[in-house]
Amino acid sequence: MNHHTLTIQANHRPETLERLLRITRHRGFKIESLNMEQDQQNGQLCIEVSVCSERPLKSLEGQIAKLWDVIRVEESNSPSIRQSAYA
Amino acid sequence: MTGAEQVISALKQHKITTIFGYPGGTIMPVYDRLLDTDIEHILCRHEQGAAIAAIGYARAAGTTGVCMATSGPGATNLITGLADAMLDSIPLVAITGQVASPLIGTDAFQEVDVLGLSLGCTKHSFLVTDPSELADVLEQAFTIASSGRPGPVLVDITKDALLAEVPQQEIMSMEPVKAPEPEHKHLVSARQLIAESQRPMLYIGGGVVLGQATGELRDFIDATQIPSVTTLKALGTVPYCSPYYLGMLGMHGNQAANHAIQQCDLLVVIGARFDDRVTGKLAEFAPNAKVIHLDIDAAEIGKFREVSVPMRGDLRQLLPHLTLNNLQLNEWQQQVAELKQQYAWRYDHPGERIYAPLLLRQLSDRVCDKTIITTDVGQHQMWAAQHMQPAHPQNFISSSGLGTMGYGLPAAIGAKEARPEDPVVLITGDGSFMMNVQEMATLKRRKLPVKILLLDNQRLGMVKQWQELFFEERYSETDLSDNPDFVTMARAFDIPGRTITTKSEVPAAIEDLLTSSGSYLLHVRISEQDNVWPLVPPGAANHKMLEGNS
Ligand SMILES: Cc1ncc(C[n+]2csc(CCOP(=O)(O)OP(=O)(O)O)c2C)c(N)n1
Repeated sequence: MNHHTLTIQANHRPETLERLLRITRHRGFKIESLNMEQDQQNGQLCIEVSVCSERPLKSLEGQIAKLWDVIRVEESNSPSIRQSAYA
Repeated sequence: MTGAEQVISALKQHKITTIFGYPGGTIMPVYDRLLDTDIEHILCRHEQGAAIAAIGYARAAGTTGVCMATSGPGATNLITGLADAMLDSIPLVAITGQVASPLIGTDAFQEVDVLGLSLGCTKHSFLVTDPSELADVLEQAFTIASSGRPGPVLVDITKDALLAEVPQQEIMSMEPVKAPEPEHKHLVSARQLIAESQRPMLYIGGGVVLGQATGELRDFIDATQIPSVTTLKALGTVPYCSPYYLGMLGMHGNQAANHAIQQCDLLVVIGARFDDRVTGKLAEFAPNAKVIHLDIDAAEIGKFREVSVPMRGDLRQLLPHLTLNNLQLNEWQQQVAELKQQYAWRYDHPGERIYAPLLLRQLSDRVCDKTIITTDVGQHQMWAAQHMQPAHPQNFISSSGLGTMGYGLPAAIGAKEARPEDPVVLITGDGSFMMNVQEMATLKRRKLPVKILLLDNQRLGMVKQWQELFFEERYSETDLSDNPDFVTMARAFDIPGRTITTKSEVPAAIEDLLTSSGSYLLHVRISEQDNVWPLVPPGAANHKMLEGNS
């Protein structure tokens, strides 16, 4: 099992979290902890999610980056930042 | 202007001339406004038919398809179509009515959480309760559906939003999402790998079609003369006369295609995604090859297979960058040509009964280059993929990723609406045909000349084949020997037809099918014993193909 923490910045839509949860489960990752806050200045969501899986994290990151409302995804403590697939 | 008029105006803005759908309570405001427009609405007889017809339209025309349905059961009936478009990356905009916003979450009549249902089967989806958001949402929907890797987008609109007055809004066209430019270092490495390779192969997928890069691909092949194989979705991208084109690879692919891939030292993957039906046992797929992967979708690159050079971008831009002349591949080309000859399809078949592969080859030789083939799902689909030779990928329309039985007839309707001048032939099976058989009423209403070739083995043949091979011949629920009389049934929809059972009847029957003035059903009785060969058994590597004795 590999454990990772992702930080995700996303537009605030009622279903944004639902999309994220669905994709995480469906792509074979278990959520170990989750925190979501709204940025008071720009209204965007900042989500921190810790996941574990046998699968490589990259496979989840790529799918999250494809969510239309996601602005960016980065692995906490990792230099690599994945911009939204649409940036 | 009402919300419903806003919907119409967005369709016009996107030059949508034809949509497919089925009315009902919550979507009625839009249907009312449709009466006053010149947008052609095709009433299918099931929302699944409407969604798949829109897919057929999109695939035949190379544009975005649009379908529409009401809330509740109308919307749930669309879901299979959305999933099909999702797995095959088809640009589709689905518009559904929803109960009025105060009723959402109250278990109102025909209320279903369609947004929730859409999450797993759309590229994106919207619920619009505020009419002032409509214009912007619809603009986004069309942009998302068609840009990057295309896909289905659902817009669920509450009835109060459709009825509300909204100020006329200037719709701001969204910039299409730009594909990234290829990185110089990757271009250099990719060119170097191609130049150094002794045994390169092109593994070509549907991304070429979706990226409208067939022309660039053909130029690339002409210049490099690298041998190639295609997936089901890319059939028709490479001309069949190309000397080193080996046809479809994978579970029911041509043996030559699978063997060549296993032997190559460089795999240039162009808009393909290492689907399990293509790779067989992944760990043994092209085991000695380095990989250059070209795709618009970053998430596909490296998903299953380590790549030497990732190339994310627009295939139309990428392919010319990789074009090298004067590759010295003679020895490899020679080997490929020998494989091609060794494993060429054979059509000798004893006895008088009709042999589907031979019939399809005869049909393929007889149709013109503009003919669009649609298929259903099963053995007949694989035979069509093996033996039909479409001149262009937009002329072979088959449910690939989802394998949706019932796809062929509505897809043929959509294709015919998109390209009324071009002949459309549906190749279907007796199981699949019954799954959207109600769409014969749409053929009748629209007087669409769709030619139906029904290969009737009185079985759910593909499942039966697996039961025979992998379940000890225990045939569970695959016997359809009590099928209806298909010719009589077609006649009820004003579709003439006939039944044939012997080889000698085939040429004249094909002639009748193709030259009849309207729709026509050619009902072909084939043996339930004929199986699709070759076959890579589940879990095996692609070079371990089984060959039947037929
Ligand atoms: C909607 C749906 N249900 C079930 C299946 C599973 N399935 C795949 S092929 C097949 C049999 C198809 O029978 P038929 O259309 O008669 O074609 P044949 O294989 O006999 O040529 C079935 C049941 C499917 N692909 N789609």
